[in-house]
Amino acid sequence: MSTTTILEPTLPAATPRPRGRGRWNAPLVSGLILFALIVLCAVCAPLLTSYDPIQQNLNDAFLAPGSPGHPFGTDSLGRDVLSRLLYGARVDLQVGVLAVVSPFILGSLVGLVAGWFGGWVDAIIGRVVDVVIAFPFLVLVIALVFAIGPGTSSIYTAITLVGWVAYCRIVRGQVLIAKEQEYAMAARASGLPTWRILVRHLLPNVILQAFVFSMSDIVLTLLAIVTLGFLGLGVPPPTPDWGTMIQEGQQFILTKWYMSTIPGLAVVLTGLALALIADGIVDKANR
Amino acid sequence: MSEQSADVPTPSPSPIPAGLRVPSISRRRLLQLSGLGIGAFAAGPLLAACGSSASGGSGGKGGDLVIVRAQDSVDMDKTIVFSNASLWVYQQMYECLVTMTDDGQGVKPWLAESYEMSPDNLSCTVKLRPGLKFHNGAPVTSADVKFSIDESSKTSGGWEFINSAIKEVTTPDDLTVVVTTKYPWAPLLADLSCPNNGIIPKDYGGKSKADFYTAPIATGPFMWDTWQKGNFIRLKKNPTYWQPGKPALDTVTWKVVPDDNARAIQLQGGQAQINEAPPFSSLTQLKATPNIKVDLFPSTRTDYVLMNQTRGPYADVHVRRAISYALDREAMVKNILFGNGQPANSLMMPAAPYYDKNCQGIVYDMNKARQELAMSSVPNGFTTTYLAMSGDSVDSAIAQILQASLKELGITMNIQNVDASTQHDMTVKMDYEIAHSYWTMDLADPDELVQFALDPNSGGHSFYSGYNNPQLIDLVHQAQQEFDKTKRQALYNQIQQQAADAAVLGFLFYSPFPYSQSSSLQGLKVLPTGYYHLEDVTL
Amino acid sequence: MKYLIYILRRLVSLIPVLLGISFIVFFLIRLIPGDPAATLLGTHATPQAVEALRAQLGLDRPLWSQYLTFMGHLLQGNLGYSFVYDGSVSSLISTSLPVTLWLLVSGTVFTLLIAVPLAVLAAARRGGTADNIIRAVPVIGLGLPSFWLGIMLILVFGLKLGWFPVGGFGNDLAGHLRSIVLPGITVALALSPILIRSLRASMIDVLGSDYIVTAQAKGISTARVVFGHALRNAAVSSVTVLGVNIAYLTGATLVIERVFSLPGIGQQMINSILGRDFPTVQGITLVFAIMVVVVNLLTDVTHAVLDPRVKLT
Repeated sequence: MSTTTILEPTLPAATPRPRGRGRWNAPLVSGLILFALIVLCAVCAPLLTSYDPIQQNLNDAFLAPGSPGHPFGTDSLGRDVLSRLLYGARVDLQVGVLAVVSPFILGSLVGLVAGWFGGWVDAIIGRVVDVVIAFPFLVLVIALVFAIGPGTSSIYTAITLVGWVAYCRIVRGQVLIAKEQEYAMAARASGLPTWRILVRHLLPNVILQAFVFSMSDIVLTLLAIVTLGFLGLGVPPPTPDWGTMIQEGQQFILTKWYMSTIPGLAVVLTGLALALIADGIVDKANR
Repeated sequence: MSEQSADVPTPSPSPIPAGLRVPSISRRRLLQLSGLGIGAFAAGPLLAACGSSASGGSGGKGGDLVIVRAQDSVDMDKTIVFSNASLWVYQQMYECLVTMTDDGQGVKPWLAESYEMSPDNLSCTVKLRPGLKFHNGAPVTSADVKFSIDESSKTSGGWEFINSAIKEVTTPDDLTVVVTTKYPWAPLLADLSCPNNGIIPKDYGGKSKADFYTAPIATGPFMWDTWQKGNFIRLKKNPTYWQPGKPALDTVTWKVVPDDNARAIQLQGGQAQINEAPPFSSLTQLKATPNIKVDLFPSTRTDYVLMNQTRGPYADVHVRRAISYALDREAMVKNILFGNGQPANSLMMPAAPYYDKNCQGIVYDMNKARQELAMSSVPNGFTTTYLAMSGDSVDSAIAQILQASLKELGITMNIQNVDASTQHDMTVKMDYEIAHSYWTMDLADPDELVQFALDPNSGGHSFYSGYNNPQLIDLVHQAQQEFDKTKRQALYNQIQQQAADAAVLGFLFYSPFPYSQSSSLQGLKVLPTGYYHLEDVTL
Repeated sequence: MKYLIYILRRLVSLIPVLLGISFIVFFLIRLIPGDPAATLLGTHATPQAVEALRAQLGLDRPLWSQYLTFMGHLLQGNLGYSFVYDGSVSSLISTSLPVTLWLLVSGTVFTLLIAVPLAVLAAARRGGTADNIIRAVPVIGLGLPSFWLGIMLILVFGLKLGWFPVGGFGNDLAGHLRSIVLPGITVALALSPILIRSLRASMIDVLGSDYIVTAQAKGISTARVVFGHALRNAAVSSVTVLGVNIAYLTGATLVIERVFSLPGIGQQMINSILGRDFPTVQGITLVFAIMVVVVNLLTDVTHAVLDPRVKLT
């Protein structure tokens, strides 16, 4: 792996700055508020809607948004779209966050090790990373989901197996920069145990980038679930989930555009919130 | 497959036998279809004498017809390929001795001028139409007919089951063919209209089988042109077709467009003239679109729920009946077919001969479902898994509607999404509990369906449901050998009622074949088997 | 010369990667339930017929022996023969790969056309209204499913305005060019938010660095600073988007090729997975891997050429 490769949507080197860390800023605040609202909607779903998200009412299918009692209409089986959207948020936020946590941890640790030790450790990890990056995500996910069986656990497994690579490369790049800096040199010279240097001194300084990336990674994960839904491999019915809702609406896109657009907008809003948070964190760190 | 096409594989030493099919996520059920012979829509071309008066046979207008479809053809080998996408194309080239009538109730002469059953019903003498020629100009003789039928009879893993009753084919003279059966066999004429018995030159015109099927030669209105695999397949006009003045079109191109919406848009944008299977959900809007017309052709399609009687509690007739009562057919017609269909009451369908419209099939009734379940071995319900085809919206809707009804009965039904290939694998291994499938007739005789659905020793393994009732199977065999129409009808009525009472399958609904086409197109007629004939179509 | 040695070294290091990939794909595809022979022959098939076909396909042999055969063919540059279509895998790929490459190039061009100006503007007006809008609006593109965007573009520019074909790949160069515009824009709308964000950030970084501050202090105009210095940096980063692009396209090509009816490699991949066409899946995976690795390599080299500070190791 070349040392020059810049990757994935990363941000400029967030070198530790001794200066004050800045105050709350507008993107961070608005992002956090928006995200909190989404989470609140998910948590309070039973308070916001009286409909059961999986209760069918076959005589009231395909009601348009704005119908009495169904502000976002009903789907092909007469289920209330608003309640599916709200309960779907529970499922998707959980899957999105969980599916990012394990690659984040795994990738960061591997990247830390690769960057710090260099040499043959780095070379081997580099090759593995190359293999994973060059391996088509789709083949891997489909194979795994078919082999393990569809469901959220297959989705976690597949996304973890692929997703850690991005974090590994980001963290490794940061470590390469950080280990040339004074504090790292000093730590090394002090004779502290390696793990202590890595975890206590290096990690806090290099993790920011990975964290920022994880924000957009959640959105990418949500989209990956949409693609899996497109292949019928997403969250199994009748569990409400935005990806499946978008996929179910796809066949009606020429006739009932809102069926896939409404859950699509939910993904967009979540993405926007997370992007704002990421921006805000960077701004805060750089200020 | 065409050697000429630049970017297509040149003839290669492929170790793979010709003739297979590609399942695709986009299209419905191809695999099961083809697997169970279900998707094998058959019939010979259709005599145009009565129909298409508007388009006329004078032809001459020409033009290039583009049909958009979800899947590519797989192979042109008529003896082993079951995929509709292949059949509908190759039936424009291969023609049979007899062909299905417009109403799908019987057959009429086609390449045959006449046919006659022997008094003992053990053989059929067929007189060929004189002057028939293959695409390469060679005359059609009885030897070609014998070769064509024999080749299919001796194939393995293909359509040979259709010819299983045939003892031998003899050729007293150049234009006479005698088909002898092992025992009296009522479906014989219908079997001769099945696409596996399409007429091709003897000994493949001197080529190897594999070479022949890369650029086949036959008698039909269209002849081989180009195949760019995965992209399109094109046939061109046969200028010396035996029906004078036909076909009108210069070429026909089947273009592969897997996405439903993309197909609809291409028709609307004028890049295609026929969309083979628009989703029912889009029909209302299509009807309102200028320059597009929508047709619903009566079909022999019937959808049903399979219950594996070798697994879980499904061997218990009360459990099957309970589930059958819990199927909300009216709601499915409304929400899945958008009203374009009707609930099913029988194993057979209205467009098939010997259908019994008075068959007392099970109808949706949750109270009766509860009563049946109470009488069963699992009165308090059980947990089961529904094997669904991933990405199939119809399957998914049926599963979810059933899931909700079963929940009321205390039955927990999980839905397992798998792809077509896995589904096929699990079905064949009887490694499933409950699933959805469908059937469409291949010929104008109910025997194929009935033996497939009820006889575990037939090619259809009683639809892999594990159902095995010797008494009912005996009735099926009686019907096969009964030439008297009234008696045969009585037998089939009995079979239909018994199958319904035993809830062999959970019959769901009958649906038509939807087609959308550009308004300027004339003369498209789709038979109840799904086959369409293009010699009468004009742009 | 140093580039040449570097490229050679990278190409050599490609070998273990490809070995690893061929190993994984070979066994992974065989993990999926569903037997190719049974899939091909259908439900009518007698067990004997299935067995015969399995033998013909070589599927009855032990896995390791099948793997050795596969590797043996591979060493001779032979990807094998499709189970489903009678043709070699390489000839199948040679028809579909160009379509996907067109899509890739078109997507990249449109991504750069959209992202670079917007990122420059955002960075130059950091914290201003323009910056905030540019940061927020494209995120919508990121969240919208590609098939939705694709259909909408077709409806407006294909059907209503008739500027572009509503699908397909055309028959000649002009046809290809016309039919690849909307798919390219669909890719770009999904991809540019990512690029805008990383470009904007790196430009801000550059603009804040000492030499730019010095330049500004010397009275050099903002425009010159932005376009003369910062944009060069932008160009460097933009190159890297290609690599990301390819990775992104694995998921996206399937959907985008479907919506626009492009007979590309994504469609072929999904069809061969569903048809259990093992040799084709293996072939496409390898070709895809080579594509990614080569593009990464080109990215690094270009990067080094554009930015003298970067050392190739």
